[in-house]
Amino acid sequence: MLIAAGVDVGSTQTKAVILAKDGEPRILARALVDTGANVSRAAEQAFHAACQKAGLDPREVEMVVGTGYGRYRIVFGQAQVTEISCHARGAHFIFPQTRTVIDIGGQDAKVIRLGPRGEVRDFVMNDKCAAGTGRFLANAAEVLGLALEEIGPLSLRATDPVKLTTVCTVFVESDILSYLAQGRRPEDILRGVHLAIARRTVSLARRIPIEPAITFTGGVARNIGMVKALEEVLGLPVQVSPDAHFMGALGAALFAVEKLEQNVEGGISS
Amino acid sequence: MAEYRGEIHRRQKELMQQWYARLDESARTGWPPAICLMISGNCVELLEAFGIVPMYPEVNALQLAIRHQSLEPILAAEEMGYATDNCAYVKADIGAYLLGLTPSGGRLPRPTLVLCNFVGCNTYIKWFEHVAALLDAPLYVLDVPFLRSEEPSPADVAYVVAQLKEVVARIEQLTGVPFDMERFREAVRCSQQVEELWSRIKHLARHRPSPFDAYFDAITLMGPLYVYRARPEGVEFFRLALAELEAKAARGEGVYESERFRVVVEGPPPYPYFRAFRDMFARWRATAVASTYSTVGGIWEFGFRHDPERPFETVALHMLAHNLTNRNYLQRYEQIRRYVREWGADGVIIHFVKSCRLFSAGQGDMRDYITKALGVPTLYIESDLEDPRYFAEAQIRNRVDAFFEALERHKHAIAV
Repeated sequence: MLIAAGVDVGSTQTKAVILAKDGEPRILARALVDTGANVSRAAEQAFHAACQKAGLDPREVEMVVGTGYGRYRIVFGQAQVTEISCHARGAHFIFPQTRTVIDIGGQDAKVIRLGPRGEVRDFVMNDKCAAGTGRFLANAAEVLGLALEEIGPLSLRATDPVKLTTVCTVFVESDILSYLAQGRRPEDILRGVHLAIARRTVSLARRIPIEPAITFTGGVARNIGMVKALEEVLGLPVQVSPDAHFMGALGAALFAVEKLEQNVEGGISS
Repeated sequence: MAEYRGEIHRRQKELMQQWYARLDESARTGWPPAICLMISGNCVELLEAFGIVPMYPEVNALQLAIRHQSLEPILAAEEMGYATDNCAYVKADIGAYLLGLTPSGGRLPRPTLVLCNFVGCNTYIKWFEHVAALLDAPLYVLDVPFLRSEEPSPADVAYVVAQLKEVVARIEQLTGVPFDMERFREAVRCSQQVEELWSRIKHLARHRPSPFDAYFDAITLMGPLYVYRARPEGVEFFRLALAELEAKAARGEGVYESERFRVVVEGPPPYPYFRAFRDMFARWRATAVASTYSTVGGIWEFGFRHDPERPFETVALHMLAHNLTNRNYLQRYEQIRRYVREWGADGVIIHFVKSCRLFSAGQGDMRDYITKALGVPTLYIESDLEDPRYFAEAQIRNRVDAFFEALERHKHAIAV
């Protein structure tokens, strides 16, 4: 049996997944920690927490692949793969019919086109500003004095959504304040916020052909309001796995398994 | 593998120092006279006919950026009223004058004439108007019609030739030096030879592996190409460069020990992070086999040459039709298509320049054309050629890494 791990150091949170492969790969454990200022330590903490949950000594994990912005800072990792390749790989593993991945994380949004074997055919990302990403939602929640997990469900109760003209993460605050001053309800404002991100993401996605099935990954995929807004703007259903948040780490772990198998085939390790 | 450093690198440095020394001499003694000129599609041969030293604001701007000195002059220009979206080359150049900053540390002369060869980039006009006002120098704007069709019309050529003759009269009047037709022909002959040598160098990149990087290494060669094109030193330099790179090709030496990817690059580099940017490609042992940026000064690899038998006419043709900026977008598509097919590239990299809307605006469509019509994987990244504030290293590295990861799997899938 091969045991491998993937660690995804994102801008906001760090995720780790441990896989066992004896036949089909299966997930042994997942762990999630806040990234904070010490990237290397966050990676180590997430990895150790996942090992503990799996009942493994970290030394039993034969290969660790790092991904995410902090991938080069994972000191115990043997290889690095970008989260673009990892999200594609993870999404294809969970939903093999996936041809388009929409990944919205803390600081970026990306759309990836996949081939039938889960290989990346093309990808587009938001430009350097964090407009229309998880950070935009977090700022909106903060202005309204709500917890991040509350805003999605609340947005679905909207009856008259506002038309938000900005997706700027900074200016959204003043936009929301002005709507509040006009007496608009928080649920209507939030629905406007979610639709603004959805529209931006879909226009990004249209730069490469959108082909079903579409899988939504990344931390923002846990937000039901965002899932519904994306489906509405796309006019297509969107698949979301309970492991959406761990998709990068899962993809990295799958690359780690692949590397172990290549090593076995190539006779590098036993 | 250590980056290749040959005689050409030593000689390039020497030539660029000599050029700045001539400008400094001009500033101190008033001789030789200096004239401000743009790189793209220029008429430097005319200046050489008078023994005038060309002064290139773009070269000054990029030299400041590569030395990590561009932000200060950019801020100085913004304090003066330039917007953040204005061309950062302009701001660095104007700001450098305001601060008395030069890349060499020497002085820059007050130009005898600010000669704006307007070819495609309309920012050039405003830039040179400001330079002329700032330095209290006379201004002449050469109006070169944009190339909307495949070839310029005879009327276009005649129109530019008439203006070039007007420039000659103006320079005679300003310097008191009579125009020397033989010297002009000699300058055009030098250009013709340099163009032939440079073109042969570019065709060496068709080799597998390519002996040089036609983006990053080409930039080293572009200094002497622009400053010395119409001079014997240029001919001597490019003879040396061709011999050196031909020898590398004969030995089967590439840019890296083993060349993994071959790419075509569109757009100028982010000069303030030139090293970091190059390293992103070096990690993947990706060699640029062709680049559009290296044709800003002139497109010669497809056969055009200046001709000493028709000096005015070929100078005009060069300005109208044989440089990157005065040509239309469909011609740029065709240029890239030929590079991909004839130079054998695996993918295309587009570097969008934030402060150059004029040349970056259509690059989204260009990406569509390359990926969809040509079926060639294309990476689109953005920062700036001069302004360090637009370069987000982690973001750009992420895109570059993901692009090559996908290319690698793509190549592997084809191989099995």
